[in-house]
Amino acid sequence: METTEKNVTVSARVPSLFTWIWNFMGFSWVGVAVFAIFAVLPLIPPFNREDLVRWQIGAALLGAQAIAFDFTAGYIGIVNFGFAAFVGLGGYVSALLAVRFGVSPWIGMFVGAFASGLLGFLTGALTLRLRGIFAAVMTWFVGLALLGLTRNLTDLTRGALGLNVPALLETSSNLPYYYIIFVMMLITLLVLRAIVRSHIGLAFRAIGQNVEAARASGVNPTYYRVLNFTISCAFAGWLGSFYAHFYGILTPDVMATGKTVEVLADAYIGGRMSLWGGAVAAYPFVFFLEWLRTSLSQFAGLNLVIYGLSLILVMIYYPGGLAEAYHALERRLRKDKQ
Amino acid sequence: MAALAQAFAPYRRYLNSTMLTIGIAVVVALFVSVRYGPFALINSLVLGGMWALIAAGLALMFGVMNIPNFAQGEFFMVGSFTAYFVYSAINNALGKNPPSALAALAPFVGIAAAIGVGAIVGVLVEKLLFAPLRKRTRENWVLNAFLLTAGLAVVMTNGAQIIFGTSFRGITRYWDVDPIQILGVNVSVDRLVSLAIALVTIALFWLFLSRTQTGRAMRAVAQDEVGAQMQGIDLGRIYLLTVALTCALAALAGGTLLFMFPAYPTTGIKALYVSWYVLILAGLGNVGGAIIGGFMVALLQTLTTYFVGEAWQDVVPIVIIVLILLFKPSGLFGSGVKGIWEQ
Amino acid sequence: MLELDSINASYDFLQVLWDVSLTVREDEFVALIGPNGAGKTTTLRTIAGLLKPSAGHIKYRGQQIQGLLPHEIHRLGISFVSETMNLFPSMSVYENLLLGAYTVPDKKAKLRSLDFVFELFPRLHERRNQMAGTLSGGERKMLALGRGLMSSPSLLLVDEPSLGLAPMLTASVFEALQTLHAKGMTILLVEQNVNSTLRITNRGYVLEHGRIVMQGPSAELKSNSYVQKAYLGV
Repeated sequence: METTEKNVTVSARVPSLFTWIWNFMGFSWVGVAVFAIFAVLPLIPPFNREDLVRWQIGAALLGAQAIAFDFTAGYIGIVNFGFAAFVGLGGYVSALLAVRFGVSPWIGMFVGAFASGLLGFLTGALTLRLRGIFAAVMTWFVGLALLGLTRNLTDLTRGALGLNVPALLETSSNLPYYYIIFVMMLITLLVLRAIVRSHIGLAFRAIGQNVEAARASGVNPTYYRVLNFTISCAFAGWLGSFYAHFYGILTPDVMATGKTVEVLADAYIGGRMSLWGGAVAAYPFVFFLEWLRTSLSQFAGLNLVIYGLSLILVMIYYPGGLAEAYHALERRLRKDKQ
Repeated sequence: MAALAQAFAPYRRYLNSTMLTIGIAVVVALFVSVRYGPFALINSLVLGGMWALIAAGLALMFGVMNIPNFAQGEFFMVGSFTAYFVYSAINNALGKNPPSALAALAPFVGIAAAIGVGAIVGVLVEKLLFAPLRKRTRENWVLNAFLLTAGLAVVMTNGAQIIFGTSFRGITRYWDVDPIQILGVNVSVDRLVSLAIALVTIALFWLFLSRTQTGRAMRAVAQDEVGAQMQGIDLGRIYLLTVALTCALAALAGGTLLFMFPAYPTTGIKALYVSWYVLILAGLGNVGGAIIGGFMVALLQTLTTYFVGEAWQDVVPIVIIVLILLFKPSGLFGSGVKGIWEQ
Repeated sequence: MLELDSINASYDFLQVLWDVSLTVREDEFVALIGPNGAGKTTTLRTIAGLLKPSAGHIKYRGQQIQGLLPHEIHRLGISFVSETMNLFPSMSVYENLLLGAYTVPDKKAKLRSLDFVFELFPRLHERRNQMAGTLSGGERKMLALGRGLMSSPSLLLVDEPSLGLAPMLTASVFEALQTLHAKGMTILLVEQNVNSTLRITNRGYVLEHGRIVMQGPSAELKSNSYVQKAYLGV
């Protein structure tokens, strides 16, 4: 009797670090499995073909961006409609440092993150007095201004002619690049998830739901909104650097609104306020769209039409997205068990 | 001295930010025409009239239906393509030496077709997109509707690309006549007719909203939906009418400006962000403000072009609007000009 | 004329009305009284079509009207003057009234209604070009009532017209309602001012916690000991 009690008490009082992290982050075996599959996917034929690996890189990159985007849109309720510009800014900063000063991309990507984070800080501050749609349009304008600047400062950026960017690695294979972006995506997911599950995330959700109530409860909306923007945009810039040093060429079009809509669509189809939704949805989505683009190439733009239609359909018929479908399924299975 | 001040007292209330802004705009307009010649001013007016129409539609849709329309540029594009195809068809049918009366009418037919097609597309969008969304859920309406229109914009742009390809379909001019001399400057007939169309449409639109029962009903729905229903106003019909009108206005602009902006899938981008500049500047949902704002933004763009360079005409207005919003978050006319209704 | 038969209504998942049944005959002036939150406004809103009942029927002149859209119900001749008034603040008194006659196609009829309302409420005529949003509380109530009359309705539903009004204005509002009834209008009045209400109405219903607990001729209700204790402070 006594021994059993002692054992129970001991294990209850000192959970291992692993269990603590597991619980804090709210991981599930399903989630781990899914990402494990993504990790080994490019090693499994036919997914190890170079062009398919390229698709997977695109998927991981889109998914990572969606995570950073959802961090703002899902949690504090502001749609950063200039998101692509922050991604592009990081890319350009890192690219220009490499081209003009020979700075290594591995350092450049953090400078890019810093630059975008700084602009994010300013943008967050700008939108403080604005509500909902105003704030979204304001971020859109910031993005448009940045796009315009990039296009016009041709001495610096070569504008629409394009900037040639040195590659991240000296290799012709896509596989290493996949693992770099995959790790970047994981880091983005884990860091942002950790923040969201902490008291900071609680504050985010509070100001996302009802600013006045949050203020009355002692939560400073200004501080948290600006914090959220800064973090989200810093990650955007970080990912933008990868984009630049992988694809090797940058034009101002990376900042176009259409690019933001791509990220936005992925984030919402994946499920707002889930963070992981956009990452998981990105894979099937990008694969489907790339397949459309390459096999039905005479209908240039069909893939984007489908993209837009998906966003529309999700908005009308299933606004919760993939994440909601997953949770509904989870609940169903739990009920059936009982 | 005191007597003088007293004489002006009743006019004091006009000295608010609105009047100040309009006053500044008028002064700037005069400055532009004196410094750079009347052509700059006329160009500003032509563009301004069209921006006013597109922005008015945008304001209407936001005020009456609470929908921030991110696809407004696409309806401009629809008008552009419609006018191109209809006008080209008529032109081809008329042959080498068409009778001048018919040749003069052809552009109007193209523009009228643009309006019609724009209205039809608007009706489809309301029936297929907004009505189902409305049925689904009313919460988070503004944001959801916004995202919906973003998706719509993507579909329409790329759909146009699939159907028409990416080539530019333009016309050199609508009316094959010599330019008219105004104040010592040659102004093309196309520009003059555009300005006339814009002014007439603005006047008709304003009269419709302020004097007719239907226009009044639309304003009522914008101010109090439940109250409107209680007077027997059919919300569904008003929504259809609003969307049709909004899209028709944008399409009208697209068709009329065909001589300036050729038809191609992404031609609507400029119309989109200019109309949004105007809307934010004027205060969301403020139709009267949007009309005035259209002219002001056009003036601003012209100024920027002459002072800094054409490429910057999109960046500078944004910076200015951001600054204005910092000090007046409700927009320039948000609490000033009462337009027809305010936010 | 109007028959509610076992109406059940809810807001989301909170049920507010439980088996509410009441009738209003032609030319009657009926009162619906009860404490705050009893469901009186909900009853009127359900009749007006702003809320769909979860169960039960509403018959107007023999026709089933539950589930019809609010504008359709208005077109049948039922006019609803809400407690929140739902005026159009950026439009003038004149425009608000004109909109009340939205469903009236004949211009002459519109002008006649306008004259009628201005006669009933001379204050509105004085302020006819003033923006509705700048009117005082009492003027707003008058405008709401006036607007409700513009379509020459057969049945008038009025929700708490005296709420927030000074006693003198309350008296004039009740006077106006009496005049309207004398001219042959059928009225269903929801009020918290029980004394005046029972004085000018024919019959009354008492609604408590979403149920009809009492009904009868107004004079009887007035002398009922429970009503006196609960609502008349006797």
